[in-house]
Amino acid sequence: MTSDLCLRWAPMIGARPGELTPEEEHGLAEHLAGCDGCVARLADETALSGMLSQALLDEANRRDFATFSDGVLARIPERAWGGAPGSASAGHGQGGFLGWFRRHRAAAVAAVLAPALAALAAVLYVGQDHHDVPEAAYVEVTSEMGGATVLDTKDGPVVLLGEGEPEGT
Amino acid sequence: MTRRTFAALLVTALAVAALPGAASAATIPVRVRILKGSRQGPAAVDPRLADLQHQLGKLAYVKWDQVGERQADMDFNKPLSVALPDGASLELTLVDSRKDTVTFDVRVAARKTHSRLTIAKDQRIVHQVGGEKDGSAYFASIRPWP
Amino acid sequence: MRSAGPVVRIPTAVNIPAGTPVLMEADDLALVTRAKAGDRDAFRTLVVRYQRRVYSVALGIVKDRDLAWDVSQETFVRVHAHLPEFVGDSSFSTWVLRIGSHLAIDSLRKERASSKQNLDDVHEGDLVGGGEGILATALGNDPQQNALRRELAGKMTEALAKLPEKHRTILVLREVEGLSYEELAERLAIQKGTVMSRLFHARKKMQALLREYAGLGADGDAGGEEGGA
Repeated sequence: MTSDLCLRWAPMIGARPGELTPEEEHGLAEHLAGCDGCVARLADETALSGMLSQALLDEANRRDFATFSDGVLARIPERAWGGAPGSASAGHGQGGFLGWFRRHRAAAVAAVLAPALAALAAVLYVGQDHHDVPEAAYVEVTSEMGGATVLDTKDGPVVLLGEGEPEGT
Repeated sequence: MTRRTFAALLVTALAVAALPGAASAATIPVRVRILKGSRQGPAAVDPRLADLQHQLGKLAYVKWDQVGERQADMDFNKPLSVALPDGASLELTLVDSRKDTVTFDVRVAARKTHSRLTIAKDQRIVHQVGGEKDGSAYFASIRPWP
Repeated sequence: MRSAGPVVRIPTAVNIPAGTPVLMEADDLALVTRAKAGDRDAFRTLVVRYQRRVYSVALGIVKDRDLAWDVSQETFVRVHAHLPEFVGDSSFSTWVLRIGSHLAIDSLRKERASSKQNLDDVHEGDLVGGGEGILATALGNDPQQNALRRELAGKMTEALAKLPEKHRTILVLREVEGLSYEELAERLAIQKGTVMSRLFHARKKMQALLREYAGLGADGDAGGEEGGA
C-alpha cells in the first residue's frame, strides 16, 4: 500500500469505538486489510496498551503519601470549613426520618407501640420516593490481605483481590 | 402522603405481618459458578461463560473455564457455603432485596475479605475467591434469578 | 477513565493498603455531601482515595516529582474550594482528574518558553523504516509472564519524560485520564484531526524510545527530535 494512504489512515489507529465516523472506520479497515506496516503499528499499540497508565500509577505507589493529605488540609484556610450554603447540613432540619416522624405524630405513636410494624411501615413509606433517605452503598469491600479493587461494568461489578507483590515481579 | 394514606398502609402492614412467615420474603434462586482464569494458554472462553465475557474481558486472564456450579434457593441472612477447588470455601449470604436490586454478602475467609454488593436484578457479580498461583486464579460468578 | 465508566483492564491489583474499604461511586457522593457540610474526615478520605491517581496524571505531564506533588496537593485544595459546584453530572474521579490535569498543564505554561515548531503534521518521513511491529513481536501474547514487558514498564516514565511537552501531555490525557478524541479536542482547543496526528507522533516517539531501551534496534526517529517530520 502506498504511504500516501498510510499518511491518512495511520493516525486513526488507536481510535476507540465511536470515535471515528462510519466512513473513517470503513476506510481504516480497508487500509489495514492491505497494509502490513499499519497492521504492525496497530500490533505495537495493542501490545503497549495500558502500560503507560500502570507505569505512572506504579511510580505513585512507590512514593510515600503518608503526609500528603495533611499537607492538603493545611493549605485549606480554616474559614473554608464552615459548610457551604445549601449543603446537606443547612436548611434540612425537617428532612430525614426524624423530620418525617415530627410531621406524622400519630404514626410515630403507632410506631412506638408496634416496633416491628413501624419498621415495615417505614420500609413501605421509603418506597414512596422519600428522597431524603440515603441509598445503601452499591459496593463495599474490606480485605485484610493485600487490598482489593472493584471494576464497575454495565453487567455488574468485578472484584479483584490484591497480592502484596504481583506474581512474576 | 396524607395521614389517611399512611394509615391505610399501616393497616396493610398489620395484615401482612399477621400472616405466618410473612416477615421473611420468599426465597430467591441464585446461581453460583466457579471459574478459573489463566494467563497462559490459547485465549479461549468456556462456552458456558459466554454471558460473562463483557466482565471477564476486562481482566488480563486469557483463558476461562467453568470448574464448578451450584444453584440454590436462598433465604435471607442464611449463609450458603460453596466449596472451592483449592480446598477453601466461599460464604454467600442474601441480605436484601428491593424492587430492582438485590444485595449479597460475599466472604472469603482464606483471604479475610468481606464484600457487600448491591446489583440490579439483571446483573451478576464476578468475585475473585483466591490468590493468583502459577498464573491462574479462581473467581465466583453470582447471579440472582438466573 | 473511559467515558463509559471506571472500567479498566488491569493485570495486577492496584496497591490499596490492606484493610482499606474500596467503595464505589455511591460512596464518593456520600463523602462529597459530608465534605460540603464541613466534614474534614470525609474530605480527607476522598483525598486519600484519589491522591495517587491525581499524582500519576500530574507526574506524567510535569515530569518533576516535587512539582507533581505540589500540583497534586493544589488540585485537592481547588477541589475543596469548588465542592459546592460539584453536582454529580460526572463521576467525582473524572472531575478531580480534570482539575488535576488542568493545573498540571497550567504549571508548565508558567515555566516553559513557547515552542514555534509544529509537532502535529504527519509527513511521509514519519512512516519510513520505523520498526513497526518489533515491540509487539518481542512482547508476545503472554502479558504477565514476559520479562521484557516488566522491563519496559519500568522504562515507560523515563521514555515519557523525554517526549516534548505537547506529546507528553496528550498521551497522559489519553492513556491515563482516558479522554476521548472529542474531549481532547475541546481540552486542548485543537481539531480532531490534530488530536489524532499528535497522538500518532507521541506514540511513535514513545515506541522508538522503548525499542532503544529494549535493544530492539533504534531507528532514526529517536525521542530527542522536536520537529514534526
